[in-house]
Amino acid sequence: MIDSPIAREFLETGRCASCGVIDLHAHYGHFRGIYMPNHGPQQMIATMDRCGVDLMVSSGHTALADMVRGNAEMAAVTAQYPGRWYAYLTYDPHLRELGRRELELYDTRPTFAGIKLHPTFHQTPITADAYRPVLEFAAARSLLLLTHTWGGSAFDSPAHIAQVAERYPSITLLCGHSGHGQFAECMDVARRFSNVYLELTAAYAVRGVIEDMVERVGAHKVVLGYDLPWFDPHYAIGCVVMAHISDEARRLILRENALRLLQGRLRVP
Amino acid sequence: MSSDIVYMDCNVSVGAEYAGTYRPCLGVEQLLAEMDWHGVEQALVCHTLERNQSPVVGNAVLAEEIAHQPRLVGAWSILPPQTEELTPTPAFFHEMAAAGVRALWAWPTEHRYVLNRITFGCVLDELSERRIPLLIPCDWDLAYHVLADYSELTLVVTAQGPWGNDRYFRPLLERYPRFYVDISRYELDCGLRELVNRYGADRLLYGSAFPQAPMGGPRLMVARAEIDEPSRRAIAGGNLRRLLEEVELA
Repeated sequence: MIDSPIAREFLETGRCASCGVIDLHAHYGHFRGIYMPNHGPQQMIATMDRCGVDLMVSSGHTALADMVRGNAEMAAVTAQYPGRWYAYLTYDPHLRELGRRELELYDTRPTFAGIKLHPTFHQTPITADAYRPVLEFAAARSLLLLTHTWGGSAFDSPAHIAQVAERYPSITLLCGHSGHGQFAECMDVARRFSNVYLELTAAYAVRGVIEDMVERVGAHKVVLGYDLPWFDPHYAIGCVVMAHISDEARRLILRENALRLLQGRLRVP
Repeated sequence: MSSDIVYMDCNVSVGAEYAGTYRPCLGVEQLLAEMDWHGVEQALVCHTLERNQSPVVGNAVLAEEIAHQPRLVGAWSILPPQTEELTPTPAFFHEMAAAGVRALWAWPTEHRYVLNRITFGCVLDELSERRIPLLIPCDWDLAYHVLADYSELTLVVTAQGPWGNDRYFRPLLERYPRFYVDISRYELDCGLRELVNRYGADRLLYGSAFPQAPMGGPRLMVARAEIDEPSRRAIAGGNLRRLLEEVELA
C-alpha cells in the first residue's frame, strides 16, 4: 500500500497534524439542484474539524444570485469564526452600480480575503467590459481572485484566463476547477503566467490530472478546494494524498501554497 | 481505521479508451497495482471493449484478462436477445460461471436498445431469479423504468456524478429492496452518514469509477465516514461480496 506518512495519517485519523488543510474554494448556503445535508455554519466547521481543515475561504451561493444580500451574509457568517473562515466578495457583472458599492464596502469587511467571479453562472465573459471595474479594483490592491473556469466555456476558458492574467499581472488568479476538460491548456496558462494558479475542485476527480499538474507545472502552483458544503473534503484530500506524487508536493497542495498566497491578505488573524 | 476491512470495488474497468478518459488503465497489471497502492483487495471489473466496441468482443477479452486473477470478478455486458449476438440463456449463465463472471452491465445508449420488458422479456426475470446484479450507467429515468418493469431485479446504478442525486435515488431505495447505489462519485459532504442513518448501509456499494476517477477519493471518504464499523465494513466490500455470493449460475 502507499507509503506516505501524510496519506497514512489521513487514513488512520482523518486528519494530519503536521499538514492542516487550507481550502481556497468553498461556498455557503443552499443551491439549486442539490440536497446538502451539511450546509449550516456549525456543520461546516464540524466538517473542517473532522477532516483536519484549518482554514477556508468561501463565496456565498446567495451572492451568485443576489450579490448584495449574499456578500452581507458571508461577512456576517465569517465574522463569527475569526481566523478560521474567510470570504470572497462575489461580483455580479450585470449590476455595475451595486457592484461599485460592494467594492467600496470591501474594506469594511475584514474577513474578506479576495474576490470571486463566476463568469459561466453570470453568462458574461471574464474579458468583457462588465468585469473591468472589479478587475481594476483587484489589480490596484494585488488581490487574490478565484474565478470559475471550464474547458470550452465561452466565458471562462483557459484562453480567457490568459488574457486576464496578461492584462492584470498584479492579480493572483486562482483557476477554479483548473479549466475542467481543458486541463492541458489551463496548465499551459499556469506555466506561462506567474500569477496564475490551478485550483483542484472537481479536477481532483479526474485520474492523472494531479500528477500531470505536478510534473508539468509544479506542485507550487496547485491549491486545493472542494466546494464545501457540496463535497466531502475527504474525497478531495484522498485524491491528493493517494496520488502518485511526493509528500512534499502533497504538503504544498494541501497547505503551504495557500498559506503563501494568503500571507498579507488576511486582515483578521 | 479498522485494518480488517476488506475493500472490494464495484466499478472499475480495464482497456484502451478512444476518448473521454484522461488516463485509461490499459490492463489488469495496472489495475492490480493501483488496487495495491490504495489498499483495495478485490474488484468487480468490466472491459472497455464491452462498451466501446461490442459485448461480443469485450466479454471474451475480459474473460482472458481476468483468468487466473483471483482478486478480480468479471462483469460482462448484455445485448437484446432478438439479434442473437450473444449465447442465449441459460447457456450464457454457464459461460459466465466458467469465465469467473458474476455480474452484468447494460449500455443501452451506446448499443442502441431500449432496456425494458418489451426488449428483454423473461431474460431480466431470469437475472432477477438468479440474483445476478445488473449495473447501469447513471440514468435515473432508465433506472425508474427498469425497476418498474422488473421490481425484483438486483440493479446497481453506477457513478452518479458529484451533483446531488439524493432526490432521484432516495425514492428508489424506499421502494425497491434490490436497488443498490455505487457510491464512487457520491461525494456529498456527510452524505454517507445521512444515508446510513436513514436507510441503513446494506444497499451502498464502495466503488471508484476507475480509471475515469482515481481510487483515492472514495477510499479515504469511506475509511473516514462518520458511520459505525459494521456499516463501513458492509459498504467497503461486504455488501458486494454478499451480492456476488448469492448469484446462481448453475
